[in-house]
Amino acid sequence: MVGKRVLIADDEIHIVHVVTIKLRNNGYEVITAENGSEAYDLACEDRPDIIITDYQMPIMTGIDLVEKLRSNEQTKEIPVIMLTARSYAVSPEQREHLGIHNCLSKPFSPRELLGNVEDALFQTGIAPQPSAVSLVD
Amino acid sequence: MSMGIGEGEGDLKLRPRQYLTLVGMTVAVLLAGMLVLQVMHHYQRFDTPWLVVLAGVYVCAVLGTLVLGRRVLRLTKAIQQTRDCLLACETEIVIPPSTATVDELTDAIHEAFQASSNALHRLQMEVDDIRLRAQLLEQQKRNAEAIIHSLRDPVFVVDELDGVIMANKAAGRLFAFDCHFEEHKLIDELIGEEASELVTFMRQTRASKVEAARRQIAFSDPERPWVFDCIVSCVSDDTDKVRGTAVVLHDVTREREISQIKNDFVGYVSHELKTPLASITAYAEMLIDDEADDEAMRKEFYSVIQGQATRLNRLIENILNISRIESGLFRINKQPVSLAVLVEEQLQMLRSYAEDRHVQIIGRTPIIFDQVDADRDMMSQVIVNLLSNAIKYNHPGGSVRVSIDVDEARSLVCIKVEDTGVGIPPEDLEQVFDKFYRSSLNENKVEGTGLGLNLVKQIVEKLHGGRVFAQSQVGSGSVFGFELPLARKHDLEKSYSTLQDELAKPSMGKGRG
Repeated sequence: MVGKRVLIADDEIHIVHVVTIKLRNNGYEVITAENGSEAYDLACEDRPDIIITDYQMPIMTGIDLVEKLRSNEQTKEIPVIMLTARSYAVSPEQREHLGIHNCLSKPFSPRELLGNVEDALFQTGIAPQPSAVSLVD
Repeated sequence: MSMGIGEGEGDLKLRPRQYLTLVGMTVAVLLAGMLVLQVMHHYQRFDTPWLVVLAGVYVCAVLGTLVLGRRVLRLTKAIQQTRDCLLACETEIVIPPSTATVDELTDAIHEAFQASSNALHRLQMEVDDIRLRAQLLEQQKRNAEAIIHSLRDPVFVVDELDGVIMANKAAGRLFAFDCHFEEHKLIDELIGEEASELVTFMRQTRASKVEAARRQIAFSDPERPWVFDCIVSCVSDDTDKVRGTAVVLHDVTREREISQIKNDFVGYVSHELKTPLASITAYAEMLIDDEADDEAMRKEFYSVIQGQATRLNRLIENILNISRIESGLFRINKQPVSLAVLVEEQLQMLRSYAEDRHVQIIGRTPIIFDQVDADRDMMSQVIVNLLSNAIKYNHPGGSVRVSIDVDEARSLVCIKVEDTGVGIPPEDLEQVFDKFYRSSLNENKVEGTGLGLNLVKQIVEKLHGGRVFAQSQVGSGSVFGFELPLARKHDLEKSYSTLQDELAKPSMGKGRG
């Protein structure tokens, strides 16, 4: 878990900030991007272990970002968690198709997000089984 | 002889009494003749001249009787014919008996003429009445046609064999045909392929014999997609057989668009509301979980929560105010306020938002009189909307320049907010103050409700009699601003002159302040 690199992409600076603090406090290394395009470049460059992205972002949306990541050999395996203010924006089929680990709707709980990150990393074999504590409190 | 008269008159038969009279008269004449012959024979005066005279008298008498009888018959027949005619007009006249005297006949004829004249007069009146009714009916028909033709909704009527009986101008315009077409022209010849679904629906309704049916149908027009609410009503005769169908089309394209815009709006609004709410709940949870490293970070968390709550409130205010202004329920409290002061207040509140977005604010406060007569809260909202837009749609590292100018000559204050953002294409600039409008350059990039600028326009123009304006250069930025009349300048001048007057007249030097 320690040292795993998380890329956070959101145009809402406060969200990026709060997620960054939550993850850093739990031993993650965090890199941030303000839009989809910047996130894609960072993903190619820094190879994060997991990506947390907002659905609606300027220049390139979260969905466009995931599609682009999936079409690139180097980034296609990176697990993605999506945050969205529109609960029904991403259909289960679309989630399945794009290999999105989970969609969390805003307002979200940083605690729950952390649990999702741990879960995703475990499922993809990147990290050992997460402790149940982080999910409950 | 007398019988010959009757036969010669065809339909006119002598009645027994007339016949007897004529026979009687003839017999009387014959007897008189014989008597004269007897007397002459008695007195041996049986010479030729007398015989000739007698024969002449005899023949004249017979002819006279016949002619007279014939005339009487003709007159009676004329009266009978008149009676028959008048019976049609419900007028009865008395036929004089065959024994009537010439005077009686004359009276009867006179009566018949009088009755005919009256009947004719009545008939003339009836004819006039009917003519008037016909004119009225024609007028009503024309009015009804004019109404149908003036309807904005296309209307047409089709018979049971698909022949179009009538169509109004709107139908002609929609399907591009002359509405004064040949009657019973087939519907397929008048309406093109694009409305084939409508024709099918019309035929189905006619076949099903239901009273009326309704369906929304989209016409595949390459230039513009049309959606019509189509109502097909069956026209039945006395035997309940469907004789045709009346089709009324109501254009619901705009309603559909508005409904789409409203759906989009709900989507935008919920996103806009949820964004600050997401920050508030996340930071609150972080504080509960004691994730802040130190007191400074805790304070930062609190301040984010406060800032986002303010943002949320601003948005809710925008939504509420728009609906209140539109419903006309809004009460405004106008008082003299300095726009520079309002700008300064709002800048203080937005400074951290600008810093978050790495946008620099450059302001210039005038030192001259810039008071306007305005609702303080409303005007604050106008200013905050313009400023927050300029920050939101800016590039990181960009700037926002606020300027306040006073045009003494026109007695106006003008506020301009210039940004260094992406700009707005000229074709979008005209609609930028419309409700729900979002620039094509910003769509899907920066979230917004499309309400802020509409609210600015409504507050400035509708509630304060000012004017909003927007200029933009794609790639280099936009200028949004408004003009308001200077506050009560006229009143201030008046009170100043009153004061001078009062000073000039010490006796009246009290009362007004």
